Amino acid sequence: MAPLPLQASSTESEAETRVAVVTERPWNVIVWNDPVTPMTVVVVVFRRIFGYSTNKCTQLMLTVHHEGRAIVWSGQRERAEAYCVKLQVAGLQSTVEQDA
Amino acid sequence: MPGKLFARKRDGRVEVRVNDAGRALLKEFFVHVVAGERDTEHDWHVALNAPINPSCDVDDPLSTLARQSDISSNAELSLMTSNAQFLTEAEAWAWLSTLQVALRSMAVVHGILSDEKLETCAPEVLEEIRTLQQFLFDLAACL
Repeated sequence: MAPLPLQASSTESEAETRVAVVTERPWNVIVWNDPVTPMTVVVVVFRRIFGYSTNKCTQLMLTVHHEGRAIVWSGQRERAEAYCVKLQVAGLQSTVEQDA
Repeated sequence: MPGKLFARKRDGRVEVRVNDAGRALLKEFFVHVVAGERDTEHDWHVALNAPINPSCDVDDPLSTLARQSDISSNAELSLMTSNAQFLTEAEAWAWLSTLQVALRSMAVVHGILSDEKLETCAPEVLEEIRTLQQFLFDLAACL
C-alpha cells in the first residue's frame, strides 16, 4: 500500500533531523587575555554587549586574566560571529571556535 | 591626587575634564584609528583586521564588513566630538571603543603580547600606553 512507505519515510526523516540537531556542536565566543587592557574596560564591554550582571562580567574577566582566555558566549555560529565582531569593535581580542 | 578625566553628570551625560594637550592627544589617537581602518599601509591596519574564526582560511565577508563599518563609525564619531564638553552615552561608548582599539593596536604593532614585553618596551611607548589606560580607566568608571 502506498501510504505506508510514505509514513515510514517521514519518520526516518524526523529521526535524521533529530540526530542532526543533537550532533550540532555549539560555537563558542572566546575572549583572550592581553597585557594592556584595563580590567574595568573588560567588565564594561561585557556588560554592554551581553547584558550580563556586573558580578558575572567580573568573574568572566578574572577567568580571562588568570587562564588566558574565557568562553563568554555559546550558541549558533552566526550569533557567535556577530558577538565576536562586537567585541573586536570594542577593542577586545576575541575569536569564535566550535565546541570540542 | 589628580581629578578624574571624565565625570558622569546627573542628566546622564559624561563631562570631559581633559585639558587642551590631552584633547590633542585624544584626537591623534582617533585619527590613527580612522586611518588604520581605511589605509591598508597604515601600521595599525593589521591589528584592526584580526581573524574572527581562525579555523577558516577566510572570514565571512559580511562579518568583516560589519567590523570595518562599526570601527570607522565609532572613530569618526569620536573625532567629530573630540572638542565636546559633554558626551552622550553613545558618544562616550564610541570614545571608549576607539581608545581601546587604539590601545590594542599599539600593543600589537609593538609586539607587546605579554606582561614581560610590556615591562621591557621602549619608555615612550610605555608612556603612551599608560596615558591611554588612564583615559580608559576614568571613562569606563562613568559607563
